[in-house]
Amino acid sequence: MHRMAGPILTALALLGSGCATLQPPQPWEKGQLARPEMQFDPDPLGARIQQHIYASKEAATGGYGVGGGGCGCN
Amino acid sequence: MLPAVAMAQTAPDTGILQLKYLDYRDWQPGADRMSVRSPAFYVLKPLSDTLAVEGALVYDSMSGASPLYFNTLSGASGVGITEYRTAGDVKVTRYLDGAAVGVGAAVSSERDYLSRAFSLDARISTADRNRTYAFGFGGAADVINSVNGVAENERRNTLDFLVGVTQALSANAILQSNLTYSSGHGYYSDPYKPLDHRPDQRRIFAWLTRYNQHLPDTDATLRLSYRYLHDSFGSTSNALEVAWFQPLPDGWSAAPDVRYYTQSAAYFYFNPPFPSGSVPGQFYTADTRLSAFGAFTLGVAVAKSLPDAWSASVKFEFYRQRSDWRPGGGSPGIDPLSARWIEFGIAKAF
Amino acid sequence: MPLFRFSFQAMASANALQLWATDEARARRAADAAIADVRRIEAKFSRYRDDSVTTRINRGAGGDAVAIDAETAALLRYADRCHELSDGLFDVTSGVLRRAWNFRETPPRLPDDATLCALLALVDWSGVEWNEHAVRLPRAGMEIDFGGVGKEYAADRMATLCLECGIAHGLANLGGDVRVIGPQPDGAPWRVGICHPRPSGNRPEEAIASIELAEGAVATSGDYERFFEIDGQRYCHILNARTGWPVRHWQSVSVVAPMCVVAGTCATIAMLLESKGGAFLDAQRVGYLAIAGDGSLHGSAATLRSAVGTPDPAA
Repeated sequence: MHRMAGPILTALALLGSGCATLQPPQPWEKGQLARPEMQFDPDPLGARIQQHIYASKEAATGGYGVGGGGCGCN
Repeated sequence: MLPAVAMAQTAPDTGILQLKYLDYRDWQPGADRMSVRSPAFYVLKPLSDTLAVEGALVYDSMSGASPLYFNTLSGASGVGITEYRTAGDVKVTRYLDGAAVGVGAAVSSERDYLSRAFSLDARISTADRNRTYAFGFGGAADVINSVNGVAENERRNTLDFLVGVTQALSANAILQSNLTYSSGHGYYSDPYKPLDHRPDQRRIFAWLTRYNQHLPDTDATLRLSYRYLHDSFGSTSNALEVAWFQPLPDGWSAAPDVRYYTQSAAYFYFNPPFPSGSVPGQFYTADTRLSAFGAFTLGVAVAKSLPDAWSASVKFEFYRQRSDWRPGGGSPGIDPLSARWIEFGIAKAF
Repeated sequence: MPLFRFSFQAMASANALQLWATDEARARRAADAAIADVRRIEAKFSRYRDDSVTTRINRGAGGDAVAIDAETAALLRYADRCHELSDGLFDVTSGVLRRAWNFRETPPRLPDDATLCALLALVDWSGVEWNEHAVRLPRAGMEIDFGGVGKEYAADRMATLCLECGIAHGLANLGGDVRVIGPQPDGAPWRVGICHPRPSGNRPEEAIASIELAEGAVATSGDYERFFEIDGQRYCHILNARTGWPVRHWQSVSVVAPMCVVAGTCATIAMLLESKGGAFLDAQRVGYLAIAGDGSLHGSAATLRSAVGTPDPAA
């Protein structure tokens, strides 16, 4: 479990440092961040469907938000 | 694809309408198990410069060879149990200068289960809008009335909390990390499984980190997500998702994705062969959802933007769960579970 | 010992076979044999196939006798017995009446007397000449239809084949006709839900009652399989062979009997006998659960007792 966290964070750090700069963007530089694929929730309906499918097959539920309500499948 | 909702805390300037249709099927060796057909609908509508409302409705019809209570049905036409679930949620968000506050409600209803939930969330940004703190609080009240009478008006209440931070790392990279804690009391057992007896509380702790990296050379975006979860049932899980969003000519895009998930068994999960007598006072489940296993998902989403702010998409996903896909091994004696789902979607910005 | 489930389409319905077996190979062997036989029976007796026994017999109507094998003769013998038991209301030559009753047409319409009279002249099982080796339909235009016994017979065949393949615990369901191969491995019965004849809009397959079956079969006949409604009156596909009109008394009848073919024909005959159906089933000494036109539950004492959620049974 914790053995996964280490490699992940390292990979993230490496990715971050691999970019041209690791410098928070100026307001005029936010164009790319506004792309849908750069959002964390670009597909609200797809996210609901996906989370429900995994919740019905796996013990883990949650982590994405609060107060989403449950279903009889878990 | 949907229009951008930028990090800055202002109300969206366009509304979104999404319609999706899900065709889901799962199976285990030698037998069909369950299929779900599900139309779903989502709308986001800005009501003013500072107010937006969003809502979703999902209608599942599930049928398959494992009906809830009856082994089979005798009728004048056809066979098979179809179960239905209707779920809806609505949320109103008020945008202030550099912050946003939302309040939401959700309901999920099936023949034997009813869940009602509420949520409150707040997001506050720094002056340069490169960092946003998120706080959330929610709760749910569930009522279970099993078809076989084992659970009669059983209740379960949950409270959830979330704190998180989102940080724009550069013009092309953004990171989000959220911690959630959920505490619930009430009925957790499965009334359809004999001898199933679970603790009457459950605490869940989850840490979700997501990272999106845009690559200007190829115009592609790498999306990473990792969730660590531990709950008081004794289950610890890791979920790693990697997706690659690739824009293609003429408004097309393709996004393959892969997910690897592992979980450990609940402490009251017992391997087969299952005992035939009861174990009074002891918690027990034979539900393979609480066993130890690993699972892979492999899929791809293809989308095309159409005139007039419409877009269409198709997503295919294949999922397989096996006890031997978990490092260190999983629960023995469990058949692999496979599933596949296809999502057809259209969306419009208005 | 795991439970293996096999779903398959045949005889215009979704069907399922549930078998307890020591391993998948054994279960699959039994299922393959059973399902293959269902398809064989369907092909042999299908009205829609050029080379089926039914089509050959129907083509010979008004002409020469048609040779038949032992299996066909056995079904005809059974159909004859049902004709007798039902005072002529169960008639395997009544299929021609479907030409007067079109349940798919919109708007639905009632047939006119002339059409019905002409068709009723072709409904005449007692006029059919048959023996162990051949059958002849005396008048051109007459048709024989095994639809009333075919599915139940196939369900019984599935059970026999599975038993021959060494399966001792299982259940076959062919479009709502259920035959137990053997109880659950711990001896517990199977729980069979009885479909609600008037389910609410978004729950088309709701159950109204439950029957526990460790052996034998249960089959259901109902007015909700094919029907139309005009001015609030339902006209279903179960037609009285003497008048040509649909029966009305029961919404559905479910019968429990050692064999599915008995359960199925008893259920159909009870529907056909309308208000006399209960007395008929009592005389046959089969367990049954019948839902009357007003939605009230009736049945044999033993079956009502084992059914879940039954209100006070009427006599």
